[in-house]
Amino acid sequence: MQKQRWAVAIAAATTLALTGCAPDSATTGGESDGPIKIGIIADLTGATGDVGTPYNEGMLGYIDWINAEGGIDGREIDATSKDYAYDVPTAERLYKEYINDGAVAIQGWGTGDSEALMNKVAADELPFMSASYAEVLTDPAEAPYNFVVAPTYSDQMRVALNWISEDAGGQAEVAMFHNDSPFGLAPLADGQSWISDQGLDLNMKPYPMPAGSANYVGLLSQAKQQGAKYIVIQNVSSPAAQVAKDIEAQGLDMKIVCLNWCADEQFVDTAGPASEGHVLVQPFAPITADMEGHQVIEEYLTEKGSSLADEGLHYAQGWYTMHIMAEGIKAALEEGDDLSGAAIREALETMGAIDTGGVVGAGEVEFSEDSHRGSTSTGIYVAKGGEMEPLETGVTPE
Amino acid sequence: MNTFLNLTVYGLSDGAILALAALGFVLIYKATGVINFAQGELLLIGAYTLYAAFVVFRLPMGVAVIIGVVFAILLGLVIERLILRPLVGENAISVIMVTIGLAALLRAVVQMIFGTRPVPQPALLPRTPIELLPGTSVPANRLLVILIAAIVLTAFTMFFRRSRHGIAMRAVADDQQAALTMGISVRRIFAMAWALAALSALVGGILLGDVTEVSGRLASFGLFVFPVVILGGLDSVPGTIVGGLTIGLTYQYVSGYGDPGLAQIAPYLLLLAILLVRPYGLFGETRIERV
Amino acid sequence: MAATATGIFHRSYQRELSLRHTKAEYFRLALVLAAMVVVPYMVDNYWLSIVNTILIAVIGAVGLNILVGFTGQISLGQGGFLAVGAFTSALLYQRADLPAPLSIACAVVVTAGAGALFGLPALRLKGLYLAIATLASQEIIVFIARRWSFLRDGSAPMSVDRLHIGGFEITRELFEWQWYWILLTCAVLSVLAARNLFRSGLGRSFMAVRDQDIAASAMGVNVTRAKVTAFAVSSGFVGFAGALSAHYTETVTWESFTLEVSILYLAMIIVGGLGSIAGSVYGAFFMMLIPVFLNELLHAVGDTVPFLLSRLPAIENAVFGLVIIIFLLSEPRGLDRIWQRMKDYIRFWPFRY
Repeated sequence: MQKQRWAVAIAAATTLALTGCAPDSATTGGESDGPIKIGIIADLTGATGDVGTPYNEGMLGYIDWINAEGGIDGREIDATSKDYAYDVPTAERLYKEYINDGAVAIQGWGTGDSEALMNKVAADELPFMSASYAEVLTDPAEAPYNFVVAPTYSDQMRVALNWISEDAGGQAEVAMFHNDSPFGLAPLADGQSWISDQGLDLNMKPYPMPAGSANYVGLLSQAKQQGAKYIVIQNVSSPAAQVAKDIEAQGLDMKIVCLNWCADEQFVDTAGPASEGHVLVQPFAPITADMEGHQVIEEYLTEKGSSLADEGLHYAQGWYTMHIMAEGIKAALEEGDDLSGAAIREALETMGAIDTGGVVGAGEVEFSEDSHRGSTSTGIYVAKGGEMEPLETGVTPE
Repeated sequence: MNTFLNLTVYGLSDGAILALAALGFVLIYKATGVINFAQGELLLIGAYTLYAAFVVFRLPMGVAVIIGVVFAILLGLVIERLILRPLVGENAISVIMVTIGLAALLRAVVQMIFGTRPVPQPALLPRTPIELLPGTSVPANRLLVILIAAIVLTAFTMFFRRSRHGIAMRAVADDQQAALTMGISVRRIFAMAWALAALSALVGGILLGDVTEVSGRLASFGLFVFPVVILGGLDSVPGTIVGGLTIGLTYQYVSGYGDPGLAQIAPYLLLLAILLVRPYGLFGETRIERV
Repeated sequence: MAATATGIFHRSYQRELSLRHTKAEYFRLALVLAAMVVVPYMVDNYWLSIVNTILIAVIGAVGLNILVGFTGQISLGQGGFLAVGAFTSALLYQRADLPAPLSIACAVVVTAGAGALFGLPALRLKGLYLAIATLASQEIIVFIARRWSFLRDGSAPMSVDRLHIGGFEITRELFEWQWYWILLTCAVLSVLAARNLFRSGLGRSFMAVRDQDIAASAMGVNVTRAKVTAFAVSSGFVGFAGALSAHYTETVTWESFTLEVSILYLAMIIVGGLGSIAGSVYGAFFMMLIPVFLNELLHAVGDTVPFLLSRLPAIENAVFGLVIIIFLLSEPRGLDRIWQRMKDYIRFWPFRY
């Protein structure tokens, strides 16, 4: 009995002593030569996988292309892209893996993971870009290491409301159909304040869209009772296409104004003839606009046996988001600094306008110390004959 | 537009599809005691089989449907033989888990072959709006869905009431031991239950894919089967029909008259309320347990 | 039939109840303890973070096993209870400025209370109906977590400041390291508590309810009390796991508590072995490591076979489903039973049984 007690006491003491000796923590830092490591967190099979997949492929396409051109200042980009299926804990795990591998920058995807990792990337000093255009990510005070390349959902909403006000020529009722989640609600409050600040004669009411619904007639009948003639949709393409089909089936006189996540070819294709006449607010230029920036992508894809028409505008979106980050890395390297997250951040803030060949917003993306909002300008398109035709481009919320 | 009528028609059409899906679930549960979490995935496979036959291979509709039927029956038989039969007699939870694993596998296989984007399928049922009342129109496909589902469900009911195999299935569902002593091949009944479940899921999946879209989202429709089953009880086809229609209508009315986001959990709230009062479901028989 | 070594005779009831009887068992225990102490020195930060996540999962799995494996109540509501624990602790710690141990303790109590509340309907429901009722509770809790703006920081998910207890604060460089010891202690305590529970009368009453609840009530076991207590105790463990995860990941978002999480935990205890605490631990390790290893494997192989790489995520899901199916077909009683059989093989050798 005595011997046992001694054994336990000695074991406990040793363990306590051991806890005091921590191992050397892994030092992360850019090597002065060698590949540039970037971590990509992508949604390929999750709820938003249908748009996440071309976006991710666009990024990987860009990396492949730039490596073939010699990389950034002679250094290749070594990117790892893994699927997290819109599961935030998986995103966190992948993030830790990438840090461990020595990544100097991270490309994320959705609002969920971008906001969840916001504080971590700030603490770990890693620049983070994603396809989430939530307003909170543009404020360097809240999210110092997040960079939003396109107009935020709130900016898109402001542009949409301006357009509606013009189109209606006066008073109008607006229904906002949104994804039943914080992503869906993101632009609502800013939209309401915009209406009152600008004195627009609009009345906007939100209606959450339940997930997995086979029809949205219930929401449409409520919108009809409201007298709404315009429906702003903050959701992905599939539910929005369903709304379009239901509007056509019901013979309702309502116009959809899609924000960027449903304003794409997929909406037009899935809704088919029901998409005719609906308005799409899309900061990224569609393929049919055939911008200067599309040509380089088209060349690359044709070599690979595909084409932009097959891949869609989200491919270009991913391509140029990665391009913007690559330009930031290049600027940091040219400054002569060690390649670290903080250096890239500084470079992005101070390097001035980054050219995207007309694909992102009005074509140029610029960050500053006070604002990580890369662009406020967006394009408004209308679905005609199965294609996205431009109505106005380079629109900013004024 | 008469909102109420509109919502009712849409609710009935969604409910009809739910009833088809739930029918398969109930068949499996009653005959074999297995809680099948892969029902939604069977809907998914049904829709994609038709897509593959009709759109990818360009076969005429009739042939495509027959291929779909054959494939569904084969799939049901294979699942039962390879995966469920070895687990006869095991813990209920283990069997649930195996159906969950099966669901993941089926979903992944569909994804592997067809990708994650919705696949383009031309409208199978006509979409022309039909005016029910002046000012209220519903698309023809919704009405046809109700009709087709009604025909299939009636066929199943007749099958259980009149045919030998149907009666044999009811016998096994009632008391396996007694059925065995009567000379009914319980193994064959198990296989038949799965095959018929896959078949009803095929029809449900095709209809659902036509009115919405053919993509991975079809599988999540399967979760609503559970409230339907609680409502309708597990003992009769008419009960399942009533359950399916009720849940479809509830969902629709809540989204039309109340907070649409609430529509997603309205079926669950309803089922909790029912379970508090009637622990064996609305039409369920009280199970008598003996020690 | 499990074999035990011969020559073990107990001279007191206390001896008979002890957790380890033979020298071999003590030796294996010593090995495990040594491994626990050595691990943080051997692996890098990424793998340490995975181990930390697994330790939290162990606590959750133990809790779920108490309910499902030992008391026989099917529950699909794991995600919901994790959410309750996480949000409670985060709210108290962030908004009410309670010290961390107190907020975690409150989270445990609140979740246990919620569990007891959900346990009341369980008195009347069995089998499929209970499963569906817990599914309903899961969906409803997630719905509330998603919609209630009180649980968010504006439109962003609630973030939790780095853990500090009194003067001690977790540092950035030693983050995983420090968390490892905290989580290890919590996991060890939870496992010991659970093991001890089933040496007591209360634990035995749980098992009686699982095996034959009518007979148990005829024998004097208060079935109502046993079931409600089982729900409460199980939810307490789960709330503990949820609270720890809130502090560890420093963010609480509804997306971490969906039905998929409930299913993952069920998979853990089934693959590990129902009705066995050790099984919960094995299952937690196994199920959490599968996606990680799969990822590594497919990325290593994917470079040589490009087609596979494009379908990578679908293959991962397919393999996940296959692993569960194959596992259940070959050994439905889980990893615990497999380990038991391995030990028995050696004990019985050269006999077959």
